[in-house]
Amino acid sequence: MDAILEVKNLSLIKSGKEIIKDFNISIERYSTSAVIGINGAGKSSLAYVLMGLKGYKPDKGRIYFDGKDITELSITERAQLGITLAWQTPSLFEGLTVKDYIQIGAKDKSLSIVKDALERVALDPSVYLHRIVDKSLSGGERKKVELAAVFAMHPKLAILDEPDSGVDTISVEKVMQLIKDFKKMGSTVLLITHRDRVAEIADKAFLMCAGQIIQQGAPKDVTAFFKNECTECNHKGMPVIKKELMKEEVK
Amino acid sequence: MATKIIDEYQAMMEAYEKSGGNVGEFENPNVPSIVISGNKVLGKNEVKGLIIEPTPTKDGVDVKITVKSGTKILYPMALCFGVIPKEGVQIINMEAVIEDNAGMNAISHCVFPNAEHIVHKMNYKIHIGKNSFFRYQEIHFHGEKGGVEVVPYTEGSVGENSLFVSTFTLKEGRVGKLDIKYDVDVMKKGKLELYSKVWAKGKDTVRIEEKGNLRGEESKALIKSRVVLQDEARSKVYSTVNGYAPYARGHVDCTEIVQDSAVAEAVPVVGVTNHLAKITHEAAIGSIDSKELETLESRGLSEEEAIKVVVGGLLK
Repeated sequence: MDAILEVKNLSLIKSGKEIIKDFNISIERYSTSAVIGINGAGKSSLAYVLMGLKGYKPDKGRIYFDGKDITELSITERAQLGITLAWQTPSLFEGLTVKDYIQIGAKDKSLSIVKDALERVALDPSVYLHRIVDKSLSGGERKKVELAAVFAMHPKLAILDEPDSGVDTISVEKVMQLIKDFKKMGSTVLLITHRDRVAEIADKAFLMCAGQIIQQGAPKDVTAFFKNECTECNHKGMPVIKKELMKEEVK
Repeated sequence: MATKIIDEYQAMMEAYEKSGGNVGEFENPNVPSIVISGNKVLGKNEVKGLIIEPTPTKDGVDVKITVKSGTKILYPMALCFGVIPKEGVQIINMEAVIEDNAGMNAISHCVFPNAEHIVHKMNYKIHIGKNSFFRYQEIHFHGEKGGVEVVPYTEGSVGENSLFVSTFTLKEGRVGKLDIKYDVDVMKKGKLELYSKVWAKGKDTVRIEEKGNLRGEESKALIKSRVVLQDEARSKVYSTVNGYAPYARGHVDCTEIVQDSAVAEAVPVVGVTNHLAKITHEAAIGSIDSKELETLESRGLSEEEAIKVVVGGLLK
């Protein structure tokens, strides 16, 4: 396997609690992978650790991107290597237009790239280019602008944290298509989600619980496991799972 | 003597251009304009329905601007005030009268490119009649030495069903010492919008005191301040909206970004003497939101570049 991202023995402790525990994952280049799990499983924390956020420096373990150890690199340095994150709840920016926001990270800052990215998330460029990325946008609109901005970057690795949350049902199809377009464009995608539907467009899924991967494999199998077994879990720091359902590789 | 005046005009135009102005406006006969350097009126252009009456004084110029009833001035008026030498005093007493059913937009550039010790006082008296509008934008361009004391005081009244919008911007060069004061009455169905955008550095000091008095039924006011402070700069922002009349609506919105050893204070004051009036406020002081910075960094910007983007947007 040609892995673009490898995480080895990663641990993250926040406020005395081990949010991510001895975590290992390997993501194949040009693939779409999904990390699923219930709220509080550590999925977003994993995204922040991979992006290098300041409060998310791992206490243990290493992260390798394109064969290079990036554990000590800053967010900017990671972004410049080709990693980026579409935030679950994107920030608002007073005075910054949608066009400017998308162009910030885009390698090709031409207007046609910006318009193309907006159209892919069902936002009419003639309406949205000069809108401000502030509270005048609805949560769903802001989310779509975020995805468009990440798409325009043409990243090597796009981490999409709950890409469909807050997006209206009509636009969800467009978002699903966009995720597929990332792959066509040559990006590797890591989806963070708790929705089966999103996870099932991935090539591979990982089930995360209490900071650990407890199941991995074909998305349909992993989402079925998630639906059938995780609802019984008391989620008190260690996953309660039926051992016979665990795959060999997880053991 | 004539050469000296031409040189002074040229220097004013250069500074005007650096502050973002288009010097071609002063050569366009359709654009009303006035250029004042120190206490000298270097240029003036009136258009139909607009009267500009400047009177030089010892330390500045008294100017009365009148937009005649029924006149809507097509092009924004261009005003250029400033002092070219390193030291000096300029006191501008400006009375703007917008008569009934009239309106004008105006952009004023105040330029002090070489300032080491300059005092610039602007005393505005604004009278807006009924069904009229006046949008006034004041952009300052100071040098990097911080030797300017800017004191713009505005008193005025916005007539029935009229609009007054004033935007004060000082983000190029050092602020020096800034002391802004507004006190504006708003009549029935009148609307007032006051915007202040300031970027203070070094040992700059900023004081903004804005007051909107909603005296007429269904009158409205928005007072919005954006102040960015770095180094050892200090600021105090006092924003007040008083609702004296039924269905008056007002909002105060103040954001101050504080970096380094800067100190900021914001006091939003909302007062209501009529139970049918409603005034709201929001104020935020703090450092730049780390998530905003991290978002921009995740697009490849350095922290310094990300700060510039956030601050630039805030003061836009």
